[in-house]
Amino acid sequence: MTTPMLEIRNLHVRIEEREILKGVNLIVPRGQVHAIMGRNGSGKSTLSYVLAGKEDYEITEGEVLLDGVDILEMDPSERATAGLFLAFQYPIEIPGVATMTFLKAAMNAQRKARGEGELSTPDFMRAVKQAGASLNVDSDMLKRALNVGFSGGEKKRAEILQMALLKPKMCILDETDSGLDIDALKLVSEGVNALRNDERSMLVITHYQRLLDHIVPDVVHVFSDGRIVESGDKDLALQLEAKGYAGFDGAAA
Amino acid sequence: MSIHVPVRLGPAEKSLIEQMQSLGATAQAERLTVAGLPTRKVEAYHYTDLKQLIRSVPPLAGVATSASAPAMSIAGAFRVLIANGSIQASSTAPAGVILGETKGSPLSDRDDVLVKLNEAMVKTSLSLTLESTVDPVIHLDRRSEGEAGHSASGVHIYVADNASATVIETYSGSDAAHVGNHATYMALGKNARLTHIAVDLSAKAATHFASQEYAIAAGAQLRTLVVHAGANLARSQIFARFAGEGAHADFTGLNLVGDGQHGDITLDVTHAVPNTTSKETYKQIARGRSRAVFQGKLIVARDAQKTDGKMMMQGLMLSDEAEILSKPELEIYADDVVCGHGSTCGKLDEDSLFYLVSRGIPKAEAETMLVRGFLAELLDPIEDAALNEALQAVVDNWLLNAK
Repeated sequence: MTTPMLEIRNLHVRIEEREILKGVNLIVPRGQVHAIMGRNGSGKSTLSYVLAGKEDYEITEGEVLLDGVDILEMDPSERATAGLFLAFQYPIEIPGVATMTFLKAAMNAQRKARGEGELSTPDFMRAVKQAGASLNVDSDMLKRALNVGFSGGEKKRAEILQMALLKPKMCILDETDSGLDIDALKLVSEGVNALRNDERSMLVITHYQRLLDHIVPDVVHVFSDGRIVESGDKDLALQLEAKGYAGFDGAAA
Repeated sequence: MSIHVPVRLGPAEKSLIEQMQSLGATAQAERLTVAGLPTRKVEAYHYTDLKQLIRSVPPLAGVATSASAPAMSIAGAFRVLIANGSIQASSTAPAGVILGETKGSPLSDRDDVLVKLNEAMVKTSLSLTLESTVDPVIHLDRRSEGEAGHSASGVHIYVADNASATVIETYSGSDAAHVGNHATYMALGKNARLTHIAVDLSAKAATHFASQEYAIAAGAQLRTLVVHAGANLARSQIFARFAGEGAHADFTGLNLVGDGQHGDITLDVTHAVPNTTSKETYKQIARGRSRAVFQGKLIVARDAQKTDGKMMMQGLMLSDEAEILSKPELEIYADDVVCGHGSTCGKLDEDSLFYLVSRGIPKAEAETMLVRGFLAELLDPIEDAALNEALQAVVDNWLLNAK
């Protein structure tokens, strides 16, 4: 069997005295899209932050392997250059930092870490223009400060634009559908689908089934109280929609 | 009735008194003998106790016989050099600029020790008359050269009615424990436009004092920027007075202090007539064990109706030992005005930092991006591209090298 793209083994995480993740086990093979569904507060977003390397969390047990390499000791920028990408549920607004400056810094930092030369300005502009066109990210958006004054839809499109430019091998999409209307959801989903290929894996975190009509997953996992309680094919999402989370974790919805 | 308690004079004060006597400034010598240097009990020096901070004063500087490298080179600028207080030869002045000299300190008399010392020490000031639209940036390159010395300099600038110009002053010099006391008086004529920038790049061992005075006539537009990025002890005092209606000024500044440094920007703006507006935006960044001080006072005179003033100080702490102090004051005697002030202080935002590093940008680079972002509001309005680049380089250099 080939090395999975992402393997999480018995991951336990706490914030201060409270245990949030209580033994997560997950394998995402290369080229597959897995969805994690769970109610608010079940620990889904914590999982995405822990994978990306945010501080504030104490990992008490377990391992996370990205393409066979343990990433828990790496700092967030090293994880990114190793091919991990988190599309934020709430992308951060950073006044004073121009979007283009940020994109160029990120692309060049990753190239540098891989031992590649810096992108020339024309090559960079071309790449951004190309990736931006299909996501409806126009030059006006790119001229503004990073995420500042972007609508909910614009922020999510900008996240997918970054994903397209950085070409990660493992993408984590945290509630990418939140704050999107139907048209924006379609646009963002198309952007994500365009990036699906045999070498790239994705973990789509959501609590609504509707996103999975657009980004159709290979496997669906149900997340409850800090662990995965059930896994199945895409029909599991439909069952969830019909029965509610209570049907899986026993707690009141 | 006041009871006179003689102050105990330290070595710095004794040197200053001797220096004032040797210059024939008896009044200044007596004043120092009676009052000493200001301590924290003097309101305007509450956070910058000169008696504590100045332990010694070097001898009066002689004529400069050597020259350090220019602190800043700005492509296309017209440069005038003032070394150890003396005006040096310059190249031919560009169109609209008349160079000359005036007697004495350019500052208005004021009950302030640094102003008084400047008055006592400056015999001749550079005079600049800007008659029309001056295209090149004017660079006043003020140096303290040679062995450690105490020197003072003065510049008087008059921007004629309807004229416009950009003036940058840099303060730098040889690597020695100089004490510099610099004064610049700027009068803006009717509808004149002036961008005035003052950057301290003095040696780390030096003490830098600068007093800037602005007289603003009707309809004039002023933008100021003070940057502290050098001396161990720096204090810039800004005194501004709106004397004609319809004028607007943006007062801005950036106080950068690293380990062992003390930087103080003290601002005093008087709206003396109706219908003038001002916006004060000051930022302070402190590293290591250091102290950054901002004092801002807005005075709105009884007749100055419809004044609009907004003062903001934002501090960024890059270490736990740093201190950032801010004292905004509003003194309003008119009843129909809009004035406000605010002050914030914090560390770099953790969420912003995480966002940047999660994209593969190394932490140090991400921090630099955020600090630049914090400062963009001050540097972006500087329109001249070469000047903007030079200022950005000062900031970047400080970020890279300051401890």
